Amino acid sequence: MSKDTILTNGRVYDPMHGIEGEVMDICMSDGKIVEKVNGSAKKIDLKRRLVMAGGVDMHSHIVGSKVGFGRAMCPEDHRKDPVPKTKYTRGGVGYTMPNSYVIGYRYSAMGYTTVIEPALPALKGLGSWEEMEDLPNLNSGLLPLFCNSMITFDYVKRRDLSGLAAFIAWTLRSVGGLGVKVVNPGGTYAWAHGVDLRDPNGEVPGWGITPKEIMHYLCEATEALGLPHVMHYHPNNLGRVGNVETTIEQLDSIRDIKGYHGRKHICHLTHMSFEALSSVEGAGTDWADIESGGLKFAKYMNKNKHFTADMGQITFGPATTMTGDGPFEFYLYQLTHGKWTNINVDVELPGGAGIVPYTYNPKAAGNSVQWTIPLEFALNVDDVWRCIVSTDHPNAGPFTKYPLVFSWLMSKKQRDIWMEDMHKFAHERSILSTIEREWSLNELAISTRAAPAKILGIEKSKGHLGVGADADVAVYDVDVTKVDLAKNPEKIIKTFSTSYLTFLGGKQVSKKGNVKDTGNEGVMTVHPQLNEDLWKRINKELEKKMNAWYSHSFYNYPVPERYRAHLEKKVKIDSTSVAA
Amino acid sequence: MTEEIHEHITCVFCGCLCDDIQLKVQDNKIVDNKNGCAISKAKFLHHTEDRPAAPTIRENGTAKEVTLDAAISKAVDLIANSKRLLVYGLSSTENDAHREAYKIAEAAGGVVDNTSSVCHGPTIMGAQESGEPAAALAEVRHRSDLVIYWGSNPQFAHPRHMNLHTRAAGEYIKDPKKERKIWVVDIRKTISAGIADKYIRISPGSDLEVLSAIRAVLRGKALDIAEVGGVTIKEIADLVERMKSVKYGVLFFGLGLTQSKGRYHNIDAAIRLIQDLNAYTKWSMMPMRGHYNVAGANKTSTWQTGYPYAVDYSRSYPRYQPGEFTAVDLLARGEADVLLNIAADPAAHFPRAALQRMGKIPIINIDPKQNMTSLLATVNIPTAIAGIECDGAAVRMDGLPLYLKKVVEPPENFLPDRDVLRMIYDELRRVMK
Repeated sequence: MSKDTILTNGRVYDPMHGIEGEVMDICMSDGKIVEKVNGSAKKIDLKRRLVMAGGVDMHSHIVGSKVGFGRAMCPEDHRKDPVPKTKYTRGGVGYTMPNSYVIGYRYSAMGYTTVIEPALPALKGLGSWEEMEDLPNLNSGLLPLFCNSMITFDYVKRRDLSGLAAFIAWTLRSVGGLGVKVVNPGGTYAWAHGVDLRDPNGEVPGWGITPKEIMHYLCEATEALGLPHVMHYHPNNLGRVGNVETTIEQLDSIRDIKGYHGRKHICHLTHMSFEALSSVEGAGTDWADIESGGLKFAKYMNKNKHFTADMGQITFGPATTMTGDGPFEFYLYQLTHGKWTNINVDVELPGGAGIVPYTYNPKAAGNSVQWTIPLEFALNVDDVWRCIVSTDHPNAGPFTKYPLVFSWLMSKKQRDIWMEDMHKFAHERSILSTIEREWSLNELAISTRAAPAKILGIEKSKGHLGVGADADVAVYDVDVTKVDLAKNPEKIIKTFSTSYLTFLGGKQVSKKGNVKDTGNEGVMTVHPQLNEDLWKRINKELEKKMNAWYSHSFYNYPVPERYRAHLEKKVKIDSTSVAA
Repeated sequence: MTEEIHEHITCVFCGCLCDDIQLKVQDNKIVDNKNGCAISKAKFLHHTEDRPAAPTIRENGTAKEVTLDAAISKAVDLIANSKRLLVYGLSSTENDAHREAYKIAEAAGGVVDNTSSVCHGPTIMGAQESGEPAAALAEVRHRSDLVIYWGSNPQFAHPRHMNLHTRAAGEYIKDPKKERKIWVVDIRKTISAGIADKYIRISPGSDLEVLSAIRAVLRGKALDIAEVGGVTIKEIADLVERMKSVKYGVLFFGLGLTQSKGRYHNIDAAIRLIQDLNAYTKWSMMPMRGHYNVAGANKTSTWQTGYPYAVDYSRSYPRYQPGEFTAVDLLARGEADVLLNIAADPAAHFPRAALQRMGKIPIINIDPKQNMTSLLATVNIPTAIAGIECDGAAVRMDGLPLYLKKVVEPPENFLPDRDVLRMIYDELRRVMK
């Protein structure tokens, strides 16, 4: 049990409660934010330092099969970034794919307390739970993939929404998932047939269904179950010049779906930087034709309220691309001719995650335009509650570069400095250089705390500092009334790179970058309760399908309790209304 | 008499991790193994054989039975006073034990290596050069219409591999006899080659040349020689045509490729060939992992240290260097001064130079059974067998994690490897404070 603590005189930004820079005290007891603590509580005078809820990263590849493949195949990624053990922490390495301990420590040092792994191949769930045992100082959660499984296709083909919903419910419960991830629906599967299916209206070989239909059904099923987190979507045709059109087309195709209990948003589009590539009017879709689609996509978002998005901001320098979108990685490999890994087993039956190390270069035409896309977007959206900061770690850059991303969002001066030496396309093929807007601290707090917690459906305990929230608190060493951050972008980076204090569940886990390992804070999962008939039906059907299609037993699919019970924070939801 | 039937049990012998084993247990004794291969049957039915009675400490050449606490205390004493601890093995135990081994290596500033350094280590180095288009066993069965085993004899080392995965019918291969071809490339006609559709004999040590020639022909290069490694260029051209024209090819490879002349260069060449073939059609590859959890040792090492094997903690952060921090090399150079061996038998497998060093330094041997290393060890701590006498998790050759169940009680006072290692770690921390 953590000691009661009171943080006094903090300048608080807590957008969920409309608090914008008020000086106030924060009380913590028993891992929660409380109204008040008694006199024996530990008192820390923050002297007007900046206070926010612990950061919430809703899309960062931190555990699992492809992260492991990536780490193992890239010792060169780690060796220049050694992390010695300390009295309180384990040793390890960085850089774009740190070992599990260092991931936890570096998030703590930045004031982040919740991080979601957004692509779990469900049949490898056990491995991810084992790995999370070694992922310290974080609340986390896993999003299993449902997009290229023959079981999904089978239900979609039969127009069996209940069956699909039940398959999702069964999987979330069996492997401990927090939501539904969809990556290039049908496309990765088609690739196992040797077919490059990038058209959302094309046919998935052998099934007579289209990527759009798969997407639509998965979205509907998610809403039917009433999962707290909406469908987490990585579209077809990712990473191709001109794909802003197909991305919008895909989002348009689910507009008719009614949100659970009338909720407005039914889809979260992830790493939009890779799917809002436009091309110069009248030109083709070669890389030379690239233009930013950021503004276009922002305009679409401002008009259409049914989805949210995260940025996937390219940060320049080394990155490691890794995704359940195997064909995209093969395409990237054909461009780079460097290392290429493909992992077929990841989306059983067919499919494949891919991995390609990649260095984003500001002098390269394509990369420089790609860099402008999410910034152009984020600086043109009306509602920051729908726009989340991410680098799709480690795809567009490591999460440790978030402070740099904040500086681009919050400082026109910083953008101008960076664009000075950039490829001319950054100026010619994007309006970014003309944008004056600078994000406020409140907007930053929305985008990095409150909004992701809300979109994930964990806003009761995460993303804010109200009474009853988990005592996840970040204190940054800056008095924002004494410095103009927009004029001092380096100060933005310095401030957010290393928190003054980070509290996790009321425990102090970091002070000025000195981290203490407190073990895994818990893994959030959702357990949809189905009506008995549907539960019986899905067990029977899945046993048959898995035993026919998988290479291991249906009975060895679920992650055993002994790997979960001590970490799992279960939320049961009532999905009994889904008809059998 | 009590009798229980355990179904869907994962076999803990080879990297296939077949999970359809059915065991009959009578009065805490396994009396029947259904579905398992001959090796699996032997492993499960004879698991009580060759078990030491208790931990031992060797003094003046004689091993004396001691309590577990005394053995742990001696082990900790040796580790705490070591200058260059080598922790080795891990591939025949479950994943949780690995975690404790890494903690010990880190606390003592030693080296931790697993048995892949003497088997598929070159495979990993090949992937570090080029990546890895990794295959999956389900896809192999459902889709592959051409399977190549290179330097691998599955009928001998992975007896159910062909039956379950490459000779079996799948979703898109309804008649495997007609629709799927199996080739074996090897230096001798193995039993697997005997039942394959095609056997390609290559000269010993010529793997790299043959792979490179295949790749060159695939890329349209004209070779002005008649043959490579005993294979004619015409034959190579025929192979290439066939490999380009299949729908879904898979290359399985064994120690015949990883540990023969060229080693990781062989694997690198194989990877690049498979990558090149993907410009024409689907191809992937898979190492035939030997010990049931050697793939797991690479996985756990990777997420906990950043590197898959050969990890040194002497500078308080992990460093990786095969050839320098690999067990054989560390011993052969006379560098390691204490060996903590877990679930492996280096005394039976290491080259002479390494064995000579092992004869001179204290060894702590943690293994369920009496093995060659036990005969050298200063401290022997017998443990429960993972997947039979205690539970755990392991990783199949294609990366699939599987749960291992406990089906019988271990001998009295025998703890799982993870518990013994945790006791060593806790005591070590206390002593080193």
